[in-house]
Order: sequence, then C-alpha cells, then structure tokens
Amino acid sequence: MSGPLDAADLADLVAALEHAGSTRTGPALDAALEEIGWSDALAVAPRTAIGPLFEAQGAACHTSGALGVLLCSRLGVGEPAAPVLPAFGTAALPAVRTRDGVRVEGLLLGSVGTSGVVVVTEGEHGAARWATVPADRLAPRAVAGLDPDLGLQALDASVPLEEGYWAATTGSWDDAVALARLALGHELVGTMATMLELARTHALERVQFGRPIARFQAVRHRLAEALVAIEAARAALDGAWCHPSPTHAAIAKAACGHSAGVVRRHCQQVLAGIGFTDEHDLHRYVRRSLVLDGLFGGARSISAQLGAEVLARGRLPRPLPL
Amino acid sequence: MDLEEFRGALDSWLDAHADQLAPEEGAHASLDGDMAQLSKVKRLAYDAGWMRWGWPERVGGLGGSPLLRGYLGEALTTRGLVEPGIYSMTEVLAPTMIDHADPALAAEMVPRLLRGDETWCQGFSEPGTGSNLAALGCRATRVRSGAGEVWRVDGQKVWTSLAQYAQRCVLLVRTGTVEEAHRGISALFVDMDSPGVTVRPIGTMHGRPEFCEVFFDEVEVPGERMLGRPGDGWAVAMDLLPYERSTALWHRGAFLQRRMDDLLAAADADALGAEAVGRVLVDLFALRARSRATMRRLDAGERLGPETSVDKILLAGCEQQVFDLAADALGGRIALGDDDESARWRADHLYSRAATIYGGSAEIQRNIVARRLLDLGADT
Repeated sequence: MSGPLDAADLADLVAALEHAGSTRTGPALDAALEEIGWSDALAVAPRTAIGPLFEAQGAACHTSGALGVLLCSRLGVGEPAAPVLPAFGTAALPAVRTRDGVRVEGLLLGSVGTSGVVVVTEGEHGAARWATVPADRLAPRAVAGLDPDLGLQALDASVPLEEGYWAATTGSWDDAVALARLALGHELVGTMATMLELARTHALERVQFGRPIARFQAVRHRLAEALVAIEAARAALDGAWCHPSPTHAAIAKAACGHSAGVVRRHCQQVLAGIGFTDEHDLHRYVRRSLVLDGLFGGARSISAQLGAEVLARGRLPRPLPL
Repeated sequence: MDLEEFRGALDSWLDAHADQLAPEEGAHASLDGDMAQLSKVKRLAYDAGWMRWGWPERVGGLGGSPLLRGYLGEALTTRGLVEPGIYSMTEVLAPTMIDHADPALAAEMVPRLLRGDETWCQGFSEPGTGSNLAALGCRATRVRSGAGEVWRVDGQKVWTSLAQYAQRCVLLVRTGTVEEAHRGISALFVDMDSPGVTVRPIGTMHGRPEFCEVFFDEVEVPGERMLGRPGDGWAVAMDLLPYERSTALWHRGAFLQRRMDDLLAAADADALGAEAVGRVLVDLFALRARSRATMRRLDAGERLGPETSVDKILLAGCEQQVFDLAADALGGRIALGDDDESARWRADHLYSRAATIYGGSAEIQRNIVARRLLDLGADT
C-alpha cells in the first residue's frame, strides 16, 4: 500500500481491521495485520489504521503486537522487532544508560521475534536512540498478574552494551508515546463498549419482580452513565486526533482511563452476581481495562502530571479551536 | 465569510474596540448591570456586522455558517464581555422565530433581538409541569375581539428567564384538550406589555433574580402571532433544543474554560491541587471536543436529536466540577468575602448547583439516554 488512500480504500481498510481485530488474536492477528499491510497504512492514515483495529481488539479482549509496531514506526526504528514498553504506570523511557551499557526496566507485550527486542533510551540533546538486544539477555519474566491473557513480560536488568550499538531515532519519544496513548485509548473504548453491551443485554433479559431489570430507573441510569462516559472518551480521542499533540494525547488517554473506571463500576453493578463469576465474560474486560489504563501512564497519574503543568503555567492549555 | 477569516477579523475588531466594549466598573455585581452590558455589546457587534453573521438574510443577517455564531459567542464570553446564560436566549429564540414565525413577523422582530434592542423570554415551564412539559395547562382560547379573532391566554408560567426585562415571550399554551397531551400545545409570540401580563421575579439562592413567575390574565394575542399552526407548539419547543445544545452549549463551555483560568489566577496552587486541576482539564477537553463535533454536525445540516443529552450531561458535570473546585480552593472568600470578585465566585458556585436542574434535569437526560440511545424500552 502506498500513496494517498481514497474514501473507498479507507472504508475497506476499516472493514478489514475490524474483522481481523474481532476474529483473531495473538500471532494470528499479527499475521492478519501483515497481510492487510497495516504498518504501511499506519504511515499514510494513522487514525484510520489505529482506531478501528484497537477498538476491535479491545472489544474482543484480543491481543496483538500492533502497539509495539506503531511505537517503532513512529520512532523510526528500522527493524521489525518488539520494543520494550515503559514500566507499568509510566511513559518514561524504558532504559537508562549506565557506564558500560544500559539498565532496562519495562514491559514486553506480544510475541518476541528472534531478532531481539528494541531498547530505547535517551540520546543527545533530548533526542532518543535505540539498539536491539537479544531478549534472553534481559531475562524477561512472564507476568500473570491481573490479566494473564495479555501475555506481558516484565524486564528489569542491566546489560553491557558498546557505544557502537546505538542508532538515533528519527521520531521523538514524546510523539511515539502520544501515538501509543491514542491507540490504548481506543483499545479502552473497545473494552468499555463490550462491558456496556454485556450489561445492557443482561438488563434486558434478567427478570425480577415480574419485569426486566432494564425497566428500573436505578439500572437505566447506571447504563446511561456508562454510555456518557464512553462518549466522553470517544470525544476526547476525536479532539486529540483533530489537533494532534503530546498534551492532547495525554488528555485523551486520561479521559479514556477515567471513563473505563466509570464503565467498570456501573456495568459490574448491573451484572451483579453473574458478573462476579468467571463463567461470565465481564471479568476479562475488567481485568484488561485495568491493565490497559496503566500502560503508558494511568489516568490518575497523567491527570496529576497535566494538572502540575497547568499550575506551573498558571493557565489551561489553549482550548481546541471550533 | 469562512470561520478562519471571521475569527481573525473579529478578534482584531474586539482588540481595537476593547475600551468601548468593556463592562463598566461593577457591572457584574448585578443582573441589571449584566443585562445593560449585554445590550451594549450586542448593539456594537450588530452595527459592526458581527452579530449578523450566521443568520439568514431574510431576518437581517449576513448569511454564513452557524459556526460563526459559535465563535462570536465564544470570543465574547472568553473576553468576559457577556455572561453566557443571558446571551443564550438569543441563540435559542432567534432560530425558533426564523423557523416557525410568519416570515414578515420574523423579519421585523429578529433584528431587534440580535441588536440587543429587545430582550425575549421563553414561557415553557409551569408550576405543575416541570419535567413533564407535555402536561402544561396555560390555556389559549380563540375569541372574537373587535374586528377579528384573537387568542385569549389564561394561566401561569414559572422559571421564565429574564421575563422582567423582556419585550416579547415565546409562549407555549394549551389550545387542545389535556388528553391530547403534547399534540394539544401551540406556541404564541406575545408582547410582554399586553394588558393582563404580570411578571414577578423569583428570589434565588445565588442572589440574582434571573427567572420569574409570569401570570396571564385574559391576555389577548393577535391570531397572526401564532408560531406555526395550532398544535405545532411541541415541534417549536423540540426544534429549540438543538440550539440550546449546540451554539449556546459551546458558549457555556467557553465560559467554564474562562472561569477555570480565572480560578487558576485567583487561588493558590496548593489549595487547587494538581490532580483536581488535571481532572478539570481532561473533562473540559472532552466536553469541548464533544461540543465541537456537535457544532460541526449542525453546520453540516444534520438533524440534532437525543444524542445531545450527552453534551448536556457532560456540560453540567464540568460546571459543577469547576465551581466545586472553586469552593474548595477559595473557600474563605466564598464564605466570607464581600468584595465583588468574591461575590461573583459565590454566585457562580451557587448557580452551578442548578446545572443539573435546568434545561432538562440530570435525571431526565439520563432517561433520554436510556430510552433513546440505549434502546432500553419504556421505563415503567
């Protein structure tokens, strides 16, 4: 795929990504994305490539290596290898240079190829630089944790690395983080949409006191609250795509994380007992959205960081233009 | 004129006429002062052409997208030149007249509203009909009077904003039977100086008598003052909603943005707290992005519907969030301050309590979301 995409191409791309994201997971989804030419699409039409895929993936609780691909693509890392993601709850560079090498503290998501993993650290004059390191030298530890299906691996290791290994990235770390945050925001929206659909279906089917519980205002208002939260998250993502900047992406990710909390709370309550069992799917989405919120910085910590910047500047950032 | 051109030209004009447009010292201290300021700004902006953009030429406008009106109200609000609550009546009532009044009546009246020569009010709610508007009982009967037929109005309205300043009222009346519910409602354009109209402002907890009770005692309204036909009143009321939820809501969002900046200037960083400030920033951004998308849909000629309840819910949430934070961070001033600025924070905080009540309460909005957007069926 090359050159500009027309409306029909974009519609085809959306349909293909939605189908792939909702029907495949793991290496099978990665293979489907390869076939679709996702990484090329990412370069020409990032919003169309990212939104539908990550929402479909989130809605189905699927996984892929797409987050790593977009991170490397934005950084201009010319090697098809999985990058080390920032440590949980932060968007900091995952590696710090030491006297004779590098100290890596971060996460790996998805399958790691034989070509090693990409480590990004601080370069000259605020720029970033990268190197590939064989995965086993970083002693990755499989993480079960809250969401074992996500297949995260934790890294916490120091490795010697000669100076000659490093190459400068062409894109900035902040821009790469911004793109990853938008992708995760969409994935969160996908998980929220499914949680709401599960709760809505239950409310319409579950009969108590002789009528579906969807008739009760207390239940209806919880579901309404969840929908409003999802719409707020979608709006924030839309605003960030229309006027892209690291600040807007941070705001959008925080909005999605906050909304996910609202959706989890209300949907779990509406699903009540059945939603607390492992025979119902809800728990998978609760788990997934909690972990996604923490990747590249959680809603709460991003909010606090944004707030600190506002306080330091003494005013809000310039609002979105009409 | 496109939005970019309008934005640049309007900003330059506002800069150049800043002194003339500025409110007089202490104008914000009273509703009278705010109303006088509003009329002044509308007149200056109308005479310079700005207030005419975005309105059709047949009512004295200069044409162009409603986005121009969106930006005008935003610019006036952001610069602290108008209070968006009282400005919103123009955005809400002018389209109603344009869409439903006899064209000659609209052409005669709308320019007076746009120019700030007149204030109009909206007579919808009644003591017995708050959320359940379709049950309204203020009655209009067709009677002979002199040479022709008139509508004779008897009944009472309440929560009628700015009625004490208004020359005209868009009034919902029952012309059919009570059993006909919303199908028996009509809309009249009533002169507020008609014999039999009595206005009584209502004291409020925030200290500004913005709304009134209005009594109609055998008030005669000429037949040609009906908006649409008998029975069209519900459609008039429903058609007004999209404007309340687009341009007017956009302006109020801009106002919250401005007051948040004011708060950042007025309060200590420690008292505000980074996380709370960040939350406001995030929620204001989502509100603005949502409202922006709604404005764009309005501009594209889309029909706005129940999905605008989401905009309203987000707005009410943000309004209370901003002024809750103000109450936390400026607690002493709000509790004890007798200077104008403290009084303003106090009034804004107290008024924000109404954000989940007026214009369709928070509960009504959630009922609409549940029924119309989530398709949960009837709620009984």
